[in-house]
Amino acid sequence: MAKQNEPVKRIFIDLRERTKELDCLYKIEELLSKKHTNVIDILKKAVDIIPKGFLFMDLCSARIVYRNEEIMASDYKKTPWLLSTPISIYGETYGRVEVCYLKRHPQMDENPFLKEERRLLKTIGERLGHAILQIDYHHAASQHETDRKAPDEPPNEWRIILDLLRKTDRKLFSRIARKMANHLVWSGHRQAADFLQHFSYRQQGRLHPEDEDANRPSQKQTLATVIELGREIFALAEKILTDADILACIHKWIQEEKASDIVQVLGNHDSTLSEIVDAITRYHFLGPDDEVYLSPHTDMGLRVSLIRQFFFDQLKFINIAKNFIHIDDFYELVQRIIYPAGSHGKLGGKSAGLFLAYNMLKKSPYSQDLFKNLKMPRTWYVSSDGLTNFIKYNNLEEVTEQKYKEIDQVRIEYPQIIQLFKNSLFPPEILKGLSMALDDFGEVPIIVRSSSLLEDRLGTAFSGKYKSLFIANQGSKQQRLDALTDAIAEVYASTFGPDPIEYRAERGLLDFYEEMGIMIQEVVGTKAGKYFLPTFAGVAFSNNEFRWSPRISRGDGLIRLVPGLGTRAVDRTSDDYPILIAPGKPALKVNITPEDIVRYAPRKIDVINMETNAFETIDISDFIREFGEDLPGISRMVSKYERNHLRPASGLTNYQQDDLVVTFDGLREKTNFVKQMQVMLTLLREEMKNPVDIEFASDGHTFYLLQCRPQSFALGETGTAIPANIPSDLTVFSANKYVTNGVVPPITHVVFVDPDEYNNLENCEDMKAIGRAIAKLNKILPKRRFILLGPGRWGSRGDIKLGVSVTYSDFNNTAALIEIALKKGKYVPELSFGTHFFQDLVEAQIRYLPLYPDDENVIFNWPFLRDSHNVLGDLLPEFEYLSKTLRVIDVPGSTEGKTLRILMNADEERAIGFLGLETDTYETGSETVAVETEQVENHWRWRLGMARKIAIEMGKRKLGVKAAYILGSTKNRSAGPESDIDMIVHFSGDRIQRSALENWLEGWSICLGEINYLRTGKKRPGGLLDVHIITDEDIERGDSLARKIDAVTDPARPLPMQAQ
Amino acid sequence: MATGKNFNPFVMAQAQFDKVAEYLDLDEATRQLLREPLREFHFSIPVRMDDGTMKVFRGFRVQHNDALGPNKGGIRFHPQETIDTVKALSMWMTWKCAVVNIPLGGGKGGVICDPHNLSDHEQEQICRGWVRQMAKNVGPINDVPAPDVMTSAQHMLWMLDEFETIHGAKYPGFITGKPVGMGGSLGRTEATGYGLIFTVREAMKELGIDPAQTLVSVQGFGNVAQYAIRLITQLGGKVICVSCWDQEDQCSYAFRRIDGINIDELLKITDRFGGIDKTKAAELDYEILPGDAWIEQDVDILLPCAMENQINSETATKIKDRVKIIGEGANGPTTPDADRIIEEKGIFVIPDFLANAGGVTCSYFEQVQCNMNYFWEKDEVLSRLDTKMTSAFIAVSELAKKHKIYMRDAAYVIAINRVAQACKDRGWV
Repeated sequence: MAKQNEPVKRIFIDLRERTKELDCLYKIEELLSKKHTNVIDILKKAVDIIPKGFLFMDLCSARIVYRNEEIMASDYKKTPWLLSTPISIYGETYGRVEVCYLKRHPQMDENPFLKEERRLLKTIGERLGHAILQIDYHHAASQHETDRKAPDEPPNEWRIILDLLRKTDRKLFSRIARKMANHLVWSGHRQAADFLQHFSYRQQGRLHPEDEDANRPSQKQTLATVIELGREIFALAEKILTDADILACIHKWIQEEKASDIVQVLGNHDSTLSEIVDAITRYHFLGPDDEVYLSPHTDMGLRVSLIRQFFFDQLKFINIAKNFIHIDDFYELVQRIIYPAGSHGKLGGKSAGLFLAYNMLKKSPYSQDLFKNLKMPRTWYVSSDGLTNFIKYNNLEEVTEQKYKEIDQVRIEYPQIIQLFKNSLFPPEILKGLSMALDDFGEVPIIVRSSSLLEDRLGTAFSGKYKSLFIANQGSKQQRLDALTDAIAEVYASTFGPDPIEYRAERGLLDFYEEMGIMIQEVVGTKAGKYFLPTFAGVAFSNNEFRWSPRISRGDGLIRLVPGLGTRAVDRTSDDYPILIAPGKPALKVNITPEDIVRYAPRKIDVINMETNAFETIDISDFIREFGEDLPGISRMVSKYERNHLRPASGLTNYQQDDLVVTFDGLREKTNFVKQMQVMLTLLREEMKNPVDIEFASDGHTFYLLQCRPQSFALGETGTAIPANIPSDLTVFSANKYVTNGVVPPITHVVFVDPDEYNNLENCEDMKAIGRAIAKLNKILPKRRFILLGPGRWGSRGDIKLGVSVTYSDFNNTAALIEIALKKGKYVPELSFGTHFFQDLVEAQIRYLPLYPDDENVIFNWPFLRDSHNVLGDLLPEFEYLSKTLRVIDVPGSTEGKTLRILMNADEERAIGFLGLETDTYETGSETVAVETEQVENHWRWRLGMARKIAIEMGKRKLGVKAAYILGSTKNRSAGPESDIDMIVHFSGDRIQRSALENWLEGWSICLGEINYLRTGKKRPGGLLDVHIITDEDIERGDSLARKIDAVTDPARPLPMQAQ
Repeated sequence: MATGKNFNPFVMAQAQFDKVAEYLDLDEATRQLLREPLREFHFSIPVRMDDGTMKVFRGFRVQHNDALGPNKGGIRFHPQETIDTVKALSMWMTWKCAVVNIPLGGGKGGVICDPHNLSDHEQEQICRGWVRQMAKNVGPINDVPAPDVMTSAQHMLWMLDEFETIHGAKYPGFITGKPVGMGGSLGRTEATGYGLIFTVREAMKELGIDPAQTLVSVQGFGNVAQYAIRLITQLGGKVICVSCWDQEDQCSYAFRRIDGINIDELLKITDRFGGIDKTKAAELDYEILPGDAWIEQDVDILLPCAMENQINSETATKIKDRVKIIGEGANGPTTPDADRIIEEKGIFVIPDFLANAGGVTCSYFEQVQCNMNYFWEKDEVLSRLDTKMTSAFIAVSELAKKHKIYMRDAAYVIAINRVAQACKDRGWV
């Protein structure tokens, strides 16, 4: 239309026309976007709008014909200058729109309408068609609503719907017709069976059995025939069913069909993550779950498919999860998944546990009150095949073979793998996703956590095997992205680290194709000064495996609460303590006196330093003084300590000057935190059908759930199966109350304080001497291979008669602390439950067990404890006079090589101590188990082998060595990955020889240290050997180590100095 | 199981008394009176527990002797409390008050319970129940309780409140160990450490030792030790070695600097529990030695301010000849065997009984201030403490000199004599 030689003016006119047309279309759109119930009203307004889009708008007039109605402008008349378009949708014509120029304009051409105007009118026709259809639908639906409300007068609404369907969506029509045929047959109407047969034949393109002929082409079917069949089916239905029934059926099936998209996508095993994400998004926009009617079985099927697609295919997990995770719950989740093109990945174990627990809590009856402030931190996920994709993208395929290499090789190569991964590139689609994630997070610290497919599954405990990294996430976008990719690369690399590989090898999981999902979680917290931290965080367990009072039952749970990041609550630390609360009995506190409360209060705090972008551990009192006031909820966290008195912080607390201690008393007393935790743990345990272990954090306002997994994963907290067939004569003791779960290594020495003899001691000095003797035994007996067994309350303060006076350091090497309660008359004394050093026991994992020898159905082997040879006098001659009261039994020495095995099982409320060989197996009712409690086998064996080699080499050289001995953990078969090798070398050479010997041994020590590092990853500065060189003089003098050579118990064992 | 010959703290306390009674040649009636408490109360305290059940606890109060003034002594919460222990402790309280010559008698009480098994609310009910049972027989002019094993200022405040409710008036002097601002006294934190040095100062005077020339070694770096070091340094003494517990290594270390430790410098690297950071101490040029090294130092004065039994037959032999004075800041730091060795070495011992009586004296001051409802400034508390401790020391030391007896025995003799005399003067015996 625009001619080549037209001046600029023409261009302006053109542009003005386009504007007019667009304006007209907008007005129509605006009109249609309003809620209408009457088609005629719309059409009346449209007739006024339409002419405004035309070139000679003043001469223009419109008319719409709709069904039997005619709507037109008052000046409308039919002229030769007419443009007309049908109102139609899906091939069905409802009417027409016409535009006429009322008279000829001087500038008008022969054909006065522009091509843009034709297109405009066509579009308007289509839009009106859609609108009319929508209003019709609406009418039908509301009519249906009315019918439902007034069932007495069911009108013939279903016909309208069916009619509409036939016109608008014939495929849907045919599926509904088929469902009706099915329905009729199911209801026992045999006539419908014919239709059904017909249907299946037609729909599946298969022949009737009698017509089956492979050589004859199947009859081509058309939609038209299907529609005809549909009419017949409904004609039949009308005769059999009431109108209301038919309508109800149709409605239900239409709703079901809405979800057909997601059904198809999930039904197809080849669907990619991207297709599933799209399907979930579309499903979400259909409306809330309860408005989209799905038959219960379809709904369940979809949930199961989704759980399987995103999380695990473990049946146990699915069985639980399907009841709590609804289809629409995935919508939020899928908005934040980063995945490679064509991904079929999952999100991994950690994500699964958290997602399930969160949904359980949010769907519980408490969601509106107790869990109102419960949230999940904002989380982005990288699907598990992101790792594979990353490896392929960078041609790193050879690393996947890493797991089949020797462990020392793995360890040597691991640092290189980390560097390799960090220097590799991420595929563009992942980078794009991560960039979006960073935009979503903003500049808040984040944590990159592994969420591998093996992690946190029922049955595998991968805790702490893969990495979790904190990132401060500060600086320019590029810097932040670099830091994030760096962290992800490191977490990816940890899949090929020695620890997880060794762990998998031990459990036969090496061949499992391990993929690594990534969770990028916002760190919960606030900025206080230069630090970023949550006000508090911690872990909580459904089962309390460390009870400090008999009034606390196992199901009362346990919270380990710390200020700042939860890392200090997760790990056990030797120099710091978390606050312990039993949520089921919150009023029973571990520490009673202000001194103890202060002594066992947290002293350090983990934070993210926003200036150095680093994770740091700082002193809590410094932090409170400097930045305490900036931390929300700090008044709930600390108490003011004044001599012998603690008061929770108040509005007037001076954070710079007051002596403040972390007690969380305010949190316990003024908030519903404890109640919340108690309900949460109970609810999760019931619904998961398993005790759970959760991680949480709070920014002082909102409570965030960070992790949830079955409790058995927590280290050292599994019960040991108790064999049924242990002969009573081999049993040393048994218990059936207040038993906790725990693993105790095989015991070589029993330190027994005889309750009766102790009570008979005549003076206080002797009682105190027992405590001092135990402190000495603690230093010389093999660590964690002896137990203390004594009357009443260990470490009792106030009255020494009630129990041996010891402090924690006097027995910190024991494996277990056992208290014996003997009846006094009719009264059984209360035991301490280790409360005097409870938190020390917890952190060091020293097990506590109370014994009640006077109870029925328990065994207490007095003869073994009283009559076995007492080696006290040999070990500590200065305390021999206490031999009647204090007995030290060398178990292997007294029992022909047996050790005392202690098995504790809280689930059965049973514990037993019995004498057995390490190789023995026992019946536990259903299965035969080898009672191996700790994987120590390899460490001592290797060390002993090395020590033998050294001895032989020493024998070959002229180093002045007369004899060599092994002692300590290697000799006692208790060496762990970090143990040294204790040797005594009997030397009788000259100075030059001694110096040569020392140098030679140092070389060995360093080499062995290096080899041990490669085997175990544990470094020992200064090498692995701890050699004590003794001379003839030392032996004569009876030097403490020289005495070890012929000691009565736990003697050093000679090593052959010549190859045999 | 109890066979009579087994260890019984009350029998032991009686034996100790008998020895001194013999020395003082007390008449039979006085002996009989002082061998047993004047009054013993045994009662039940029913408590409705948090779970709605009722539990009955056994409570005690033993008033050993009040010839010198109202009974004074702690209330213990202990699961296996026995009356023999409470009786023994009440007797020791009588002597302890008498040795510093404060007008108080001895008492002790308790409840058989384990606070680890009780909520705060349940403990409060026990405290209030105890007072309801004893309200008629305790009070600022009868018997004054204080915190003890497993009881704290909080328990005292509950008890005080119940007492005042029953009597319809304010009696802050009913109980001691209260927080400052709630009837507590200033200077309580410093009292024991300062009290120790007041007696050490007097001993130095007596032995003609110039404080400016003395070297001191201290075991422990807790509250008592810290204030003791501060004061002795002010007097001119030089502390060259201090040992303390290391939580991380679960053993103690001694920190030595021959040219003298700097208390303020050390406090900066010390945790709340008196644990010195050994890495930082090394940076400050302190030698880090094994914990036992404190006793082997070539010093004039040893101050054991940590735990009991630290000076025993094994460690006592390591004491250097230069040592002239041992001031027992801790409770029972010396075993009887070690006592003999120390006596042979001719070292002057200020027994724990006397040396750490600063604490009980300050409790007395708390009561005095409460009764007049006027509270002194810290300086006044500490100067009055100085007066009390000094005169107590002089009395014991003069007796020891005059009768040529060991200081520990002299302290007992003077205390028991004072009580016996009061009983006599009152015409009780």
